Amino acid sequence: MERKQTAMMLAIALAWLAVLILGWNGAWLIAMVLSVFLMLGHMVLGATHNGKLDAGFLAYPLLTWTALWVASFLLSAYYAEAFRGKVPDFTILGFHPSFAWTIITYWIGGIASLSVGLYAMRDRWLSEADWETFKSDIAAIKAQGGQA
Amino acid sequence: MSAGAKILIVGFSFAMIVVSFLIGIWAKKKADTAQAFFGGTALFGPFTVGLSTMSAVASAFAIVGIPGIIYATGNPMSFWMLSSAAFGMAYIILGKKVRAMAELGPISSLGDISDLRFQKSRYIKAVMSLVLFLGCIAYLAAQIKGVSVMFAHLLGWNFYVTGFLIFGVLIAYMIIGGEAGGIMTQAFQGLVMAVAGIIIIIGFFVVTGGFGNVLEAVAKAGEVTGGGVTKKMSADFLNAWGVLPGQVSMVYMLVPILGTVGQPQVLTRMYALKNPRDMPKLGLWAALSHAVVGFLAIVMGFGALYLVATGKIAPLAKADTAAAVFADHLGIWGQLLFYATVLAAAMSSASMFLSLSAGIISRDLPAAFGLKAVDGPTQIKRFRVTMGVLGVIAVALALTNDSMVAILGTFGWGTLMTATFPVFVVGLLWKRASKEGVATGLSIALVLNVICFVLVQNKFKFPGAIPWYFNVIVFSIVATVVVSLFTSGAAGKNLDRAVEKVIDL
Repeated sequence: MERKQTAMMLAIALAWLAVLILGWNGAWLIAMVLSVFLMLGHMVLGATHNGKLDAGFLAYPLLTWTALWVASFLLSAYYAEAFRGKVPDFTILGFHPSFAWTIITYWIGGIASLSVGLYAMRDRWLSEADWETFKSDIAAIKAQGGQA
Repeated sequence: MSAGAKILIVGFSFAMIVVSFLIGIWAKKKADTAQAFFGGTALFGPFTVGLSTMSAVASAFAIVGIPGIIYATGNPMSFWMLSSAAFGMAYIILGKKVRAMAELGPISSLGDISDLRFQKSRYIKAVMSLVLFLGCIAYLAAQIKGVSVMFAHLLGWNFYVTGFLIFGVLIAYMIIGGEAGGIMTQAFQGLVMAVAGIIIIIGFFVVTGGFGNVLEAVAKAGEVTGGGVTKKMSADFLNAWGVLPGQVSMVYMLVPILGTVGQPQVLTRMYALKNPRDMPKLGLWAALSHAVVGFLAIVMGFGALYLVATGKIAPLAKADTAAAVFADHLGIWGQLLFYATVLAAAMSSASMFLSLSAGIISRDLPAAFGLKAVDGPTQIKRFRVTMGVLGVIAVALALTNDSMVAILGTFGWGTLMTATFPVFVVGLLWKRASKEGVATGLSIALVLNVICFVLVQNKFKFPGAIPWYFNVIVFSIVATVVVSLFTSGAAGKNLDRAVEKVIDL
């Protein structure tokens, strides 16, 4: 369990470094997509309980969010390039087709996946039983004269 | 602006300051222990904490400065303002861990959590507190200066009187109600921001006819000249990346989203929540209210662009007047709500950073330097004195020393991230995060913050147009992880059993 955690933290550190180096060298779109996986790594570590990540929680919100944001950046880049230097011949909800994905998938999609998802899957994130078990474990450690 | 509008703005602002003061006094009842007074620990429900978190995160700069940046450079800054999902992400990453730490021992500050995690490492507590203090005092000075200038100019009042009136009341209610009072007043101010935001957003659609009209006007405007100023516009201005290098969009996306979990105004609110299982609900309230305020900043920037592109106003000589100019165009109610939102945003952020700074000076740093611990009532007394003295000094310096405020402006969101990521994000997610690793990461953060500060003052250009703080964040995190791999203080087998349970939760 601890090895997996260490491997994940190493991957996170490397991803931070890679994002920075890519940014220095102008490869910012790749860096943006890599950033999504960097953030996913943090969330996976945070949501893991006793070394295990609930499969349902991984699917929604985590992977749903990942797909939405990767799609968001790629679509924004595609339409920014497609209409560079000219007036777009269509809009999405009135927005420039490139910026529309910032609104739809990045902003609304982000809230609908992470914020609503965390609420919808709250028992998989932290169940009443897990919280009570945690509190009784801490009480037992305290009773045994542990630091807590 | 008409005299009637000024009277309305003064009346509404005065009412908001009075209500904040009364809430602060009322909160005194709740602040009956050191934990409640300093941290509001485990006292509040998700609605209160959600609004408080949002309003402390969204400073006056979000309402005034960001529309100006959008007016000047297009959409890159929109990534920052549309980062409402950041709260859900922050709670998924650290929510239950930080809240669980409050079950291990008395938690009144971030320094207390650091003590529990790193077995009372005085070095870690001292360096983290110093870096946090830099970021907090920078935010505090910026709020005081910005709002005092704006309201003194608007109302024709004496600048110093305006500043001391607004922030004097704020200092008074924070002294009385402590952080418990701060959280409650911030929730009220957050509600004002959200309600005013919704109304101004509706006003944007009435004035412009919607985003399609803005895009059409900006795309066709070309170069607009008026009042001796020329503004160049094109459709590219309103694509996702605007007119700045793409790296800027990358940083403006990643830093606010992931950086939210490293902001003290978010971390401290995690342990203010009564029931940890309410954290998802807290995330929803924070995200929804932030969505309104974030979108408000966008529509004000877009609104100013529309007014210039359609020739209704001349191009702006100063981009940071964009929000005020657009509010003026909405009429009396638009002006009233805009200034109320700015005041609420400034007061909520200022109260949070004043309280945090006073806690660092009166509690965390003395403990880190090995001074003898005192009982709860004495701590509260010291905190109140420190808050009063620090508050008055901060207001006086912010109002009289322009260059200091400008210099402090170097520090902020990124600086706060460099102080908290090694300790909390790495420290509470990874059992092998060692005392030595975190101390190294923090030391690098402190040194690089200072070096970069000097470089920024000397107009140094960082590689690839990446902001300086992004470099510092990466180096401090990487150093924390690498040194932790080879050391074991407060990590692995040396990890406290209770802390291990927190990391496993």
